[in-house]
Amino acid sequence: MFGVEGDLKCLHLRKGEEGLTSTRVAELLAQNGPNVLTPPKETPEIIKFLKEMVGGFSSLLWAGAVLCFIAYLIEFSKDKSASMDNVYLGVVLIVVVILTGIFAYYQEAKSTNIIASFTKMIPRKAFVIRDGEKREIPAEQLVVGDIVEIKGGDQIPADIRILASHGCKVDNSSLTGESEPQSRTCHITHENPLETKNISFYSTTCLEGTATGMVINTGDRTIIGRIALLASSVGHEKTPIAIEIEHFVHIVAGVAVSIGIMFFIIAICMKYRVLDAIIFLIGIILANVPEGLVAAVTVSLSLTAKRMAKKNCLVKNLEAVETLGSTSIICSDKTGTLTQNRMTVAHLWFDNQVYQADTSEDQKDQIFDQSSATWASLSKIVTLCNRAEFAPSQESVPIMKKVVMGDASEAALLKFSEVIMGDVIERRKRNRKVAEIPFNSFNKFQLSIHETEDPDDKRFLLVMKGAPERIMEKCSTIMMHGQEQPLDESTAAAFQTAYMELGSLGERVLGFCHLYLPEDEFPDTYSFDVESMNFPTSDLCFVGLISLIDPPRSTVPDAVMKCRSAGIKVIMVTGDHPITAKAIARSVGIISANSETVEEIAKRLKIPVEQVNKREAKAAVVSGMELKEMSPEELDELLTYHTEIVFARTSPQQKLIIVEGCQRQDAVVAVTGDGVNDSPALKKADIGIAMGCVGSDAAKNAADMVLLDDNFSSIVTGIEEGRLIFDNLKKIIAFTLTKNIAELIPFLIFIIAGVPLPIGTMAILFIDLGTDVIPSIALAYEKAESDIMSRKPRHKKKDRLANHQLALYSYLQIGILQSVGGFFAYFTVYAVQGFKPDRLLYLRPLWENDSLNDLEDSYGQEWTKYQRKYLECTGYTAYFVAVMVQQIADVIIRKTRINSIFRQGLFRNKYIWVGIASQIIIAVILSCGFGSIPILNFTTLRVQYWFAAVPYAIVIWLYDELRKLLIRLYPGSWWDKTMYY
Amino acid sequence: MVNEKEKTGGQVLEEWKEFVWNPRTHEFMGRTGTSWAFILLFYLVFYGFLTALFTLTMWVMLQTVSDHIPTYQDQLATPGLMIRPKTENLEVLVNLSDTKSWNQHVQILDKFLEPYNDSVQAQKNDVCRPGHYYEQPDNGVLNYPKRACQFNRTQLGDCSGLSDPTHYGYSTGQPCVFIKMNRVINFYAGANQSMNVTCAGKRNEDAKNLGDFTMFPANGNIDLMYFPYYGKKFHVNYTQPLVAVKFMNVTPNVEVNVECRINAVNIATNDERDKFAGRVAFKLRIIKKT
Repeated sequence: MFGVEGDLKCLHLRKGEEGLTSTRVAELLAQNGPNVLTPPKETPEIIKFLKEMVGGFSSLLWAGAVLCFIAYLIEFSKDKSASMDNVYLGVVLIVVVILTGIFAYYQEAKSTNIIASFTKMIPRKAFVIRDGEKREIPAEQLVVGDIVEIKGGDQIPADIRILASHGCKVDNSSLTGESEPQSRTCHITHENPLETKNISFYSTTCLEGTATGMVINTGDRTIIGRIALLASSVGHEKTPIAIEIEHFVHIVAGVAVSIGIMFFIIAICMKYRVLDAIIFLIGIILANVPEGLVAAVTVSLSLTAKRMAKKNCLVKNLEAVETLGSTSIICSDKTGTLTQNRMTVAHLWFDNQVYQADTSEDQKDQIFDQSSATWASLSKIVTLCNRAEFAPSQESVPIMKKVVMGDASEAALLKFSEVIMGDVIERRKRNRKVAEIPFNSFNKFQLSIHETEDPDDKRFLLVMKGAPERIMEKCSTIMMHGQEQPLDESTAAAFQTAYMELGSLGERVLGFCHLYLPEDEFPDTYSFDVESMNFPTSDLCFVGLISLIDPPRSTVPDAVMKCRSAGIKVIMVTGDHPITAKAIARSVGIISANSETVEEIAKRLKIPVEQVNKREAKAAVVSGMELKEMSPEELDELLTYHTEIVFARTSPQQKLIIVEGCQRQDAVVAVTGDGVNDSPALKKADIGIAMGCVGSDAAKNAADMVLLDDNFSSIVTGIEEGRLIFDNLKKIIAFTLTKNIAELIPFLIFIIAGVPLPIGTMAILFIDLGTDVIPSIALAYEKAESDIMSRKPRHKKKDRLANHQLALYSYLQIGILQSVGGFFAYFTVYAVQGFKPDRLLYLRPLWENDSLNDLEDSYGQEWTKYQRKYLECTGYTAYFVAVMVQQIADVIIRKTRINSIFRQGLFRNKYIWVGIASQIIIAVILSCGFGSIPILNFTTLRVQYWFAAVPYAIVIWLYDELRKLLIRLYPGSWWDKTMYY
Repeated sequence: MVNEKEKTGGQVLEEWKEFVWNPRTHEFMGRTGTSWAFILLFYLVFYGFLTALFTLTMWVMLQTVSDHIPTYQDQLATPGLMIRPKTENLEVLVNLSDTKSWNQHVQILDKFLEPYNDSVQAQKNDVCRPGHYYEQPDNGVLNYPKRACQFNRTQLGDCSGLSDPTHYGYSTGQPCVFIKMNRVINFYAGANQSMNVTCAGKRNEDAKNLGDFTMFPANGNIDLMYFPYYGKKFHVNYTQPLVAVKFMNVTPNVEVNVECRINAVNIATNDERDKFAGRVAFKLRIIKKT
């Protein structure tokens, strides 16, 4: 995809290069367009807003509202003085829909758009040679073929091929994620354009030096442009919770519509008027739709999001809160996430022995043997042969946090010596530097010559460090316990072993040697010349090796363990070398201590790799090159049969392929990353996690979640919260669905048995959007029932949020119980006023007859229509209060799904009690305060009838305790399978 | 699930078929026979328990409710008024050229007034002292059935319909409308002072169109002796007092809105919400070919 035109020879800048002509530029500009990234097409805000208005339950409520108006129109056409009740109801429904829509839209609008950060990276100006003269033009006007000049500090204005370079180094971290500065020359070093050293990429930074290059790609055709395009073309997967909620909406809407239509037909068959049948339909739809649920779910998710933010997980997309909980595979970036993203001294080798250095974040416990004289020499070389310095005015900053000027390895060595020996700068002053050859890739060593701090010793000290094999070549002796010994074969072999051993740990190994220059040959007036090298650079004394690594964060191994025990597979995906990647993977436990790769098994059994049974190897290390050769089926196989996988040297596309491969396994994939290169994978992932400190803006924008402390272990906290909210959402849904039946049954009985309507539509709305809202949100604060991190992640397709157990238990058991309790309260208030239950049966046609103002009750008393209507409202209120009382029991039983309430603690979640208080207060206000508002249809209820449903509430609670007890006693039994939701 | 392939109709049908009856696992609608049996048994037991619970609570509740008087009567503080013949939308329509139009009213009235026949009244009910409540207190011991006072059909005079060729005046366009007050147990209507029913046109033009009317008993009086009412169960032969209004010369071919109200000390007739509290409004329309 990123093919580069041109042969492998070094293209050289021609003398007196004239550049493109203005006319040619104009042509190319017209042909290819300006050098800018095209912003993605955006859905207009109004469309997004309207989408919120029609999705989910909203369409059902719209249907309800329309039916209300139709009902009114039918009535109005017959009788001009028709009651406005239906119009009010319709208006209320529309208000509910619009408010929920605005609420959802507000949540949606928070998600930011991805291209903004890419545009931010566009460099403003570029120096270009055109028509034989150098001029400064806006970078947008660059075209392919332009000759541009860059210098340290510039951003590269387009993808360019270097024609000439003077010590040019670039920072590709925004592209590859690896922050090591890379030199740029005109030599082609690799076939892969991303690897070769003669191409610099758009939006990366030139750190030092200067270069001249030819533009080879502009705008959307640059690597960054393609990644941006890739990122925006990757469809954002629906979050698992969105799928679950959709699934749940389908179930509820299905029930609502089918019961509605069924009873519409029944009503017609029972010779009800069409108008009445429509009104029944409205009631049934209203009763079935949990109007307050969407808001409750959103609020619960944002509460969890807040809680996660406190633990350094910043959630951008609310639904991602739960996604993290259902994660089954984490594809983690290495640098910065698993590691500290700074080179650190890991091992030392001197006196023929390997010592381990403390690589923890503060490096306080350096435990290796510092008494050896060899160490004294080595430490001197480390201190002196080092150009790195602390940036000024950081006296109060701890050493490890100080900013260092110089490259990563030198900074590591500087800090290392500062920690062990104290003031390095002072020591350097005492050993004045007289000459120096900085490191370069040709020499592969760094050398400096110093005066010694001992005033009696007039000798100069030559110190050198560099690639171990190069240093070894220049030595003829080796220091053992402070004594120089001739370098014989056995010591050379020992060196080789140590070098290989450290190298195999994925560490960068440096060799150190020194030489005291003889005083007679080099008097203190001697002038050293680094150009002619008028001093010896061979027959030096080898002192030791120091190896460096970007060490894992100390919290990571524990976090990886936790992921393991939570059934989550952690896959490392990195741009780094396989050896380094594997070493880090081993040290953090991504590859556990006792598992082997195919290669390791082959090595142990001494058989060719092909003969190893691949199923035996738990671990696998796959490089980008190998991945390139794999078919999707092979990748699937790899992902299935190996539990511990490391992908090294991967490109952005390959990250995407890996994520897709994992998603084919029905896994919920979390991807962590920080670079621009990660953004397509972040977007493709079910949940993209960007690093807050080191992450590029593009990565942060593509991600659903940002880790503020870049710490992998924060993800584990996030997973725990995500799993908890999934459990709690189940409880919330179970709680909310229960009373739907209690709201629905009255309509069914009303139609079939012809009793006066037990509960009005307004009262239903007041339950759904009034009394039930706070308790359902309070359930989001419920603590976990057991160790949620010791169970497997939920299966995306099998472990549903609203499963049939939940629906059946809520609908057919507790819901029915609540209805019965409600009816008991309803029959009670009618009976005490004169209408005994038998009188109510099939009374509806008379009861609702407006001109019948002398309807006889069970005692022979006669009632006007208004008196009956008032009694009917008292009935609504009684039923409403009964449902409210039983919902108190419901919220208490929903605190746990399997444990006894007492084990969970009745008072641990204070918000539940706030919720219960809110239920009672809202009901009291409605019944007493607003009883006089006619359209609300509430009346004041005598105190004793508030308690009518209490026995039922107690039964609900006892029954649920029994259910939980049996589940605990007989796990796996029929009861468990049927009753555990 | 963006990438999920759309299922074809056939596949969906297959899946459904398998859901309804899965031959491999012998599952019907996702459950095996035993599973279904368990489920059905469970719900049988569960709903059986619920029925028992409901029956028990209802039984307890009904035990607390008295047979002869409801626990609360606060909704019936003001009795409503109602007319006979009771018609759709309370509109008394008399088409003189169409016997059928008023014959149904006549039949209703015949039936309604049957229990008021003097013979029936004499046989079942007491002659009471007018102007006094007919109280029959229990005095600690239940005392029932309670006696009722006579209200003889003949008291309705021209509206009694007895040997009346005009059929309560319907055949001649001078219809009788009967006003009755809703029964409320233990309600002492009038608070020991006499009360009567008065009628009037609702608006000025209605008053003009209404013309003269005569009331039976005279003045539309309702006697105190018909109160209090002791309820259907105890006051078996209770005869509700009536006031008949005979409209003598209603302007034909216009709709006349009539409102009758009771004038009693303890019955408010100005309730904004309950249009029938202590009053009744109805429409009168006589159609006469000119």
